[in-house]
Amino acid sequence: MFPRPAYFALLALMIGFTSSLVAQDRPTASADDVAFFEKEVLPILKANCFACHGSEKKLQGGLRLTNRDEILKGGESGPAVDLKKPDESLLLQAINYDGLMMPPKGRLPKAQIDTLTKWVTRGLAWSEKAVEAATKGHGVPVVDDEARNFWAFRPVVRHDTPTVKDTKWVRTPIDAFVLAKLNENGVRPAPPASKETLLRRLFYTLTGLPPSPKDVAEFDNDQSPDAYEKVVDRLLESRHYGEHWARHWLDLVRYAESNSFERDNPKPFVWRYRDYVICSLNADKPYDQFIREQLAGDELDEVTPDSIIATGYYRLGLWDDEPADRPLAFYDGLDDIVATTSQTMLGLTANCARCHDHKIDPFTQRDYYSLLAFFHGIKPYGGDNEILRFIGDAATRTRQAAATADWDAKLAEVKKQILAVEDAIKDKLPGGEIDDFKFDGKRREILRKQRGKLISKEDHDRYESLHKERNELERQRPRSLEQALCVKEEGRPRDTFLLLRGNPQSQGDRVEPAFPSVLQAANAKPPELPTPREESESSGRRRVLADWIASPSNPLTARVMVNRVWQFHFGRGLVRSSSNFGYMGSPPTHPELLDWLASEFVRTGWKLKPLHRLIVTSNAFRMSSVISKSEISNLKSHDSDPENDLLSRFDLRRLSAEEVRDSILVACGNLNLNKTEGPSVYPVIPREVLAGQSVPGRNWEKSSPEEAASRSVFIHIKRSLAVPLLSAFDSADPDSPCPVRFATTQPAQALALINSTFANEQAALFARSLRREAGDNATACVKAALTRVLQRSPSEREIARGVKFLDHNIQHDKVSADEALRRFCLLAINLNEFVYLD
Amino acid sequence: MTANFCGRTRREFLWQTGGGFTGVALAGMLDQPFFANSARPADGGTKVFANPLAPKKPHFDAPAKSVIFLYMYGGPSHIDTFDYKPTMIGRDNETIAVKTFGRGGKKNQGRIVEPRWKFQQYGQCGHWVSELFPNLAKHVDDIAFLHSMTADSPIHGSAMLQMNTGKVQSGSPCIGSWVNYGLGTENENLPGFVVMLDPRGGPISGAKNWNSGYMPAQYEGTIFRSQGTPILDLARPAELSEAGQRRLLDTLREFNDDHAARLGNDSKLAARVASYELAFKMQSSAPEAVDFAQEPQHIQAMYGLNDKRCGTVARQCLLARRLVERGVRFVQIYSGGAHNDDNWDAHGDLKQNHDLHAGETDQPIAALLTDLKARGLLDSTLIVWGGEFGRQPTAEYEKGTGRDHNAYGFTMWAAGGGVKGGISVGTTDELGSAAVEKPFHVKHLHATMLNQLGLEPDRLTYFYGGLDQKLVGVEGAEPIREIMG
Repeated sequence: MFPRPAYFALLALMIGFTSSLVAQDRPTASADDVAFFEKEVLPILKANCFACHGSEKKLQGGLRLTNRDEILKGGESGPAVDLKKPDESLLLQAINYDGLMMPPKGRLPKAQIDTLTKWVTRGLAWSEKAVEAATKGHGVPVVDDEARNFWAFRPVVRHDTPTVKDTKWVRTPIDAFVLAKLNENGVRPAPPASKETLLRRLFYTLTGLPPSPKDVAEFDNDQSPDAYEKVVDRLLESRHYGEHWARHWLDLVRYAESNSFERDNPKPFVWRYRDYVICSLNADKPYDQFIREQLAGDELDEVTPDSIIATGYYRLGLWDDEPADRPLAFYDGLDDIVATTSQTMLGLTANCARCHDHKIDPFTQRDYYSLLAFFHGIKPYGGDNEILRFIGDAATRTRQAAATADWDAKLAEVKKQILAVEDAIKDKLPGGEIDDFKFDGKRREILRKQRGKLISKEDHDRYESLHKERNELERQRPRSLEQALCVKEEGRPRDTFLLLRGNPQSQGDRVEPAFPSVLQAANAKPPELPTPREESESSGRRRVLADWIASPSNPLTARVMVNRVWQFHFGRGLVRSSSNFGYMGSPPTHPELLDWLASEFVRTGWKLKPLHRLIVTSNAFRMSSVISKSEISNLKSHDSDPENDLLSRFDLRRLSAEEVRDSILVACGNLNLNKTEGPSVYPVIPREVLAGQSVPGRNWEKSSPEEAASRSVFIHIKRSLAVPLLSAFDSADPDSPCPVRFATTQPAQALALINSTFANEQAALFARSLRREAGDNATACVKAALTRVLQRSPSEREIARGVKFLDHNIQHDKVSADEALRRFCLLAINLNEFVYLD
Repeated sequence: MTANFCGRTRREFLWQTGGGFTGVALAGMLDQPFFANSARPADGGTKVFANPLAPKKPHFDAPAKSVIFLYMYGGPSHIDTFDYKPTMIGRDNETIAVKTFGRGGKKNQGRIVEPRWKFQQYGQCGHWVSELFPNLAKHVDDIAFLHSMTADSPIHGSAMLQMNTGKVQSGSPCIGSWVNYGLGTENENLPGFVVMLDPRGGPISGAKNWNSGYMPAQYEGTIFRSQGTPILDLARPAELSEAGQRRLLDTLREFNDDHAARLGNDSKLAARVASYELAFKMQSSAPEAVDFAQEPQHIQAMYGLNDKRCGTVARQCLLARRLVERGVRFVQIYSGGAHNDDNWDAHGDLKQNHDLHAGETDQPIAALLTDLKARGLLDSTLIVWGGEFGRQPTAEYEKGTGRDHNAYGFTMWAAGGGVKGGISVGTTDELGSAAVEKPFHVKHLHATMLNQLGLEPDRLTYFYGGLDQKLVGVEGAEPIREIMG
């Protein structure tokens, strides 16, 4: 090879036009080769090479592999690829560990070596765009007009509903959008689901509970054209709607009832927040108001007990009561709020910009701290004074104050008497004990030793009873039940600084509260903040943020929420990454539909129930999950669309953890629907599981069997102690926001449903109630059992199978008819059809 | 799709979270061609989606296949065990200037509590070990001591979370979860991440110490008992015989097959059928692992199975060996439970506390090393010993020998799994109050553990909350190369 300048000059001379240099080295690669590069080669390079041979900071050996020309130019060891003799290229020698050994941490698998070899020998196909996309995120994200025009950040545009040929299929505008897309792709929608399938789907999606046999029969017999709509209306009015949909929201705000860490103590009155969410949903409170109350319920024009309870939103997270690094823990707490708020309400992963600019999205570190500044006046979680507020009426408040004063006086009197005894003896004590006597805790012990010596037995008895009285009193501090866990502020907000690398000790520029710049016009003025008043308990800043988030012009709020509602109906959102609408998120499969729904949502006053109605009455929702064999061969929609991105059918889904448990209780006739609010309940947790606690059983109270059989949304959520059945079926981990539940299939679930005490006890209750309902007749019992778990009439074949099972158990296993039936009940709650919804 | 998160493509991730995670997770567990045909990859491509619990290839060939983490809960005192401080001898009760930070807060001076046990040198390497560990001391030539460990918190709750998950906050997966996520499990009939607890109680924060955090529940640690029924819900109810249960499962399957046929044989339904067969198999394979009767008398005696003092840990260590032999990836044994002197948290009487806990563990751990070595398993099994922090050189109170917590410097050790024996890395100052030479952070220990298993700490990532999360933190961490063989 020529030394570079000469080589360059020579070529320039030969071709006479420098820009042809590139063209000379790069014969036009075929589309296939470029696709091969993008799909197969680039991921290998990115995963194994770019870290050392791509970044600006530490370019190893002077070789850059993120640019084709530089590969040809090479590094300190010479050109990495020689297109004339590609087989002998240094790059190939290195990956084959022939001389150079790359990557140094271990040889690539043979398949990958083959891929890279093929790429090199076929002429080093390249795609500037793909490489740029793959390496993007290592520089500062740019907030410019292009970023502001990203689909999620630009204003919502209400598109016209598309015109489709098959207008009969269009029940709601949703269907027009869905059908247009299907038509475009030459795919026909699946046939409608059967009546019984649809009813079951509707009940679970709106209430999380199965229809009763009576519901099934009524719906089956109702031949009126609006039979379905009548059920929809009824279910939306049912309080079980709020109980079910509250759970979705509670996942998103990482709702839990304890603080985690060493003590994992319960959060006082936290259940009021859960009840607030249930009631808000049942009342169809507009979503913008729902947001305003949670973010700034204490700063609204009209502050109500409910709006105070709503601010419990700020108190749901983790709290370490003895952090090693207090300033850091303070900012961890704020980060938790920024993360939850931005992900849940805006679909933004703002938390990624705490230590540096966001690596992927156009969201700077300054944006992060400007957002944090809105929350900076919040008192950190702490004792009752920091987190509780009285919400009762004036009369109760007066009564409460009197009771507290009375209690204070009594306690002071007892303490005074104790001190009098101690003072009398203090000066008579021997040397070492005088020192120890300084400590409150030691005095009682010392006096015990002096009983009958420096203090008479009678006086000591009196002293001891005074102590008992004091302890008793301290336990009986009059505590009003009319309190709410809520946000409180310091009064004047703290100054906010950008923290370099997220470190509270290294302050950067001072920042003021501001909205993310990518969601603002380039020349937008910072938001106007209320002037802090001396007497005010809060800064009013959160109200400003809440108004901005809950504004119809915010491009994200409505989009994010309608997408969530879609997700909870269809199993996944139009945007699958429902808490990440940024560059790394998945783009919407139906962008026009998403925007139409968002604008409709705002137009109808941010109300969820009309949105539910729109969705569940659509044909899109009413399709079967199955496509008939002839359809498959005709349409190949399974082949062309394995993820069902086109929405050509309904997706089968497993019931959620709460739905599994509640459904078992329903089937077995034991679900307690009387529990509708109030402090949480504690189902029995097996001793083996409690043994994992440092104090087994601590803070897990005992509920009566009836209370324990309440709906799962009312179960106490203790961060360090999950109810095993619920966690086995993927209940949300409450330490961080959970936008989408996992739906795993694992043997622990099978063991829990076959062997656990809970499953076996419920099966026994199930069998007993069948006996009451269907008597001794085996056929009648099997039929009733299957009807209850499947919400449909079982077939003859299924009944016969069940009866045979009973017979075999009685004859071969020599068990009683009752035990045989119990086993069949156990089998019934394990059926796939029972835990899957189609 | 180009973006790749540790073998998970972004699409795969979205699909898992959006569409149900392991609908086909068990596909690999039943070797049926049906799955190969029906289990489609998330990106719609041609390759068949892999079972996330099936064994995965490490990033590179590495010596260790599994880890046994001997967790000394409460924080053993390094200067009374393995970090020899001869200059402290004869200085008992001397008040000195020293910076400490424990549960009692930050202090600038304290009263020396001289190490309460005699030290002597052992092995070729001549490492000093106190008389607390007469049996273990014989293995120093197989052990690499890390004398300069540091952690971010001197408070049990957060420090334990850091030792187990890398973060002082709860909500992140444990190292055992990470290892199973990265490598899968070798034995589908047993859990891949097993935790054994002290019978006196669980550690502070309970299940947070073996939780899978933002990862799915299948990566969570499973509590395994060395006596009785090893796993929750594993035992059939007394009234149900094996044959009776088999009949139940067979009839269940008939119903499920009909149902699947009606729904076009969805792979999620087939996976659930498979999970029942797996559960059935676990009912016999897990108890088999706990069947110590299979062990010859001399092995039982070596561990101290019938010894009153160390019998529990002996059973746990022996079980750990048997689990590792059967392909379990990560085993964690807690020495110490509950609160105060039920674990190594010696705030009161140091002597009494450490005599108790060392006495319970010395013989079984030594036996475990001997046994693994004799079977040729030590090379493929990484043993890690230590607590969430160490203890201070000075007294916590005016009187007595109790030591407060110390995260500024403490000792952990590793053996087997490709770790060099007979060496020590890093030092603390002459009092053992803080690491001075080559300080290592918990994340370096985690990086080392991953590295010995063939996982690159910076490459083992999981996409959550908008970030490629890592066990070793966003900034990454280098493994401790000094102890690698």
